[in-house]
Amino acid sequence: MLDQSNPFTMLRLVSWVVWKIPSRRPLKMAGFSHTEAGSSLDMMDAAELAPTASLRKKYFRHALDEFRHSRLFHERAIALSRGSHAADVLEDAEYSASHGIRGETSLYERLGETEFLAFVWLHERQGARQFGLYADLMKHDAASSAMFAEICADEEYHVSYSRRELDRIEIQKGPREVRGAIRRLRLRRAREAFLRTSHGFGHVMAGLWLTVIYFGIVAPFSLAGRRSAPAAGLVATPGASARARLEYEVQG
Amino acid sequence: MSDYVLGISAQFHDAAAALVRDGEIVAAAAEERFSRIKHDSALPFRAAKWCLEHEGIRPDDLAAVVFHEKPLRKFERLMITQINAFPRSLEAFRRTALSWFPDKLWVRGALAKGLGIDARKVIFSDHHLSHAASAFYTSPFEEAAVLAVDGVGEWASTALFDASRNGIERLSEIHFPHSIGLVYSAFTAYLGFQVNDGEAKVMGLSSYGQPRYVDEVRKILRSSETDGITVDLSYVTYQHSATQSFSARFEQLFGPARSGDARLDITTPEGRRYADIAASLQAVAEDCVVDLANGLQRQTGRTDLCLAGGVALNSVINARLTSRTQFKRVFVHPAPGDDGCAAGAALWAWNEVLAGRRGPALTRPGLGKAWSNGEIAKLLADLDIKHTAFDDEDAMIASVVDDLVDGKVAGWFQGRFEWGPRSLGHRSILADPTRPEMTERINRKIKFREQFRPFAPAVLQGHEDAYFEMAPGTELLMPWMLGVFPVKDGARALLPSTTHVDGSARVQSVDDLANPLFQRLLIAFGRATGHPVLLNTSFNLKGEPIVTSPLQALRTFYSSELDVLYLGNFRVINTAIGKHFYE
Repeated sequence: MLDQSNPFTMLRLVSWVVWKIPSRRPLKMAGFSHTEAGSSLDMMDAAELAPTASLRKKYFRHALDEFRHSRLFHERAIALSRGSHAADVLEDAEYSASHGIRGETSLYERLGETEFLAFVWLHERQGARQFGLYADLMKHDAASSAMFAEICADEEYHVSYSRRELDRIEIQKGPREVRGAIRRLRLRRAREAFLRTSHGFGHVMAGLWLTVIYFGIVAPFSLAGRRSAPAAGLVATPGASARARLEYEVQG
Repeated sequence: MSDYVLGISAQFHDAAAALVRDGEIVAAAAEERFSRIKHDSALPFRAAKWCLEHEGIRPDDLAAVVFHEKPLRKFERLMITQINAFPRSLEAFRRTALSWFPDKLWVRGALAKGLGIDARKVIFSDHHLSHAASAFYTSPFEEAAVLAVDGVGEWASTALFDASRNGIERLSEIHFPHSIGLVYSAFTAYLGFQVNDGEAKVMGLSSYGQPRYVDEVRKILRSSETDGITVDLSYVTYQHSATQSFSARFEQLFGPARSGDARLDITTPEGRRYADIAASLQAVAEDCVVDLANGLQRQTGRTDLCLAGGVALNSVINARLTSRTQFKRVFVHPAPGDDGCAAGAALWAWNEVLAGRRGPALTRPGLGKAWSNGEIAKLLADLDIKHTAFDDEDAMIASVVDDLVDGKVAGWFQGRFEWGPRSLGHRSILADPTRPEMTERINRKIKFREQFRPFAPAVLQGHEDAYFEMAPGTELLMPWMLGVFPVKDGARALLPSTTHVDGSARVQSVDDLANPLFQRLLIAFGRATGHPVLLNTSFNLKGEPIVTSPLQALRTFYSSELDVLYLGNFRVINTAIGKHFYE
């Protein structure tokens, strides 16, 4: 675990480098905005499905907080952007989708109550540390620093309520239930990190191979079979509808 | 046992599922309403599963699952286009390969697995045929000409049909890259808005400008009644680029593009230039659709027109078609974009593959999920939210009228959510349109969106003529809010917050068939104020899908400066404005 009081920890060093580069700041803010928006959706799903009124209320408040954070990051990204790509990132719905914030089932459904709470506790604890550190590192930018401090306070509340809920489950179902959930979650996070890295590596390799294919295979096709420019204007299509009726099983 | 057909559209934008029972759409929803990702393009399993739940059927009960297009033909178009564009198409080629090989090519298997059905039940329509079917089979017309205009499907960007009892016959089509929709999207990107989302903003912006650049736009996009449309491909790059849709030559013609993060100020010369370009594009696009419609009318001799495809979301064009062509009536499906293809695919299969009997015309927009008053009461109790419960709808309506007359902005969550992109009185934000301050207040403090975005009026059916200059034959556009009409001179001062800067309004008329509760509200509001008209805008924040569930309505409510929320028969006051909800 990283010691926040130690100014030479890896996290502090990396964060200092990242935030030192002005052009990175709006992109980082835009990225955080998406992450918080995704978390808000996850918490809304949990609030829709929570088994008790007490949990539902906590998840709903959490969702409202995450949404507000997303808006704060969004506004800060715009304020800092000055023609960078942050606005594109903020507007890009595909960016949200590709960051894996949704699936066919919600995170809450996939993890179940205990593991979901463990997930919230671990992630919010990490977030509280991270944003606390950023509030400290961004002292030269008072608005950003104040924003991080405000968000950090919310994250601390999320840490405390999720921990209390885990303690309640420990009392009800025994400590193994919670310890097991945290262990499974850590394993899951390690696996997901491995998959993300593999996916990223695979993406790069696929991109390289596709570049080779493009120049090795597409190029000769292009040179040999280049079609004339597509016909402009109306093209008559006699019998097209009848064919569609007959070829309904055909994909192409 | 009834026969059910499930239609699916996905893989580009606005994925959706629609369930047809005996030729009638009984449930339909865009995936974004459930996933909460705007314009979600993923296979719509959440929406599809809800459709089946709604009717209480199992996947095995489906006669067919119909995908809205032929994926292999689309892939063929992408590959050939990219081969032809070598070596400029490297990035597009890589993106295409990375998204199609692992995913999009295997639709049949993915649908069979995701829905739990036999793969042989998955069949395929054609993109523009799906568009055409969505419009014709939900229209009240026995026979009609059908014009489907959008960006691109498999190869076609535009298709012309003749529809009758014998089915929908395709007469001709225009092929990619010659596309009104894609040129409109290229201008959308040039004007700094997001493609497939910002086209409505371009339409709104056009009202602030003068069409000074029509000649320049016509250099890019030309049309005639006999030859359709032609695009000068030296100005656009969408045919070979995955990230850029206009060329350097385009910028030489119109000047530098607007950056998306720059504030659009229409009072500056630069802002006026962008508005003038939008106005010019709008004028040329309208001419193109009019030319296509006139050509189609001459070819078919029909007097009724069904318009479909994303371009049919351009309400300004829709409203002018009867006055600029020989068509007497025009109809547009409430979801004319790609989401509507789900309904169209299912209706096509029902009518033309399964040879079922044609169902009734579509009269109501509420085809989505509903929540009961009991479910809402439990939610409010669970969240410990103070509220007022009304014994009946009359008391609730009286309270809404009091709030609106008092100048409050109200969230209105009632019944099943709407099919299509418009809020039509089921998931709406409502206000008194006679108050001039509402436009700025709702744009700035509630929806957090651009100041130039207009708001629409919902008017009690039968009272349209008192406020708006209606074109004959456009009545069928009104229930879906798909026509823009001039506001009468005497009414502009009466309805300042729903009259756009050019004196127009995108009008929705409401009757007891489409939405009886909303109609009763308009009647009551009319009795109280003398004007049965309400400002009606979608219940969402900028960049988000319209709310689906009561919980989402509450989240939007507490994240904005809405004054009051009506969830079924419950009234909630916003005590959280400007501070944390639970403080």
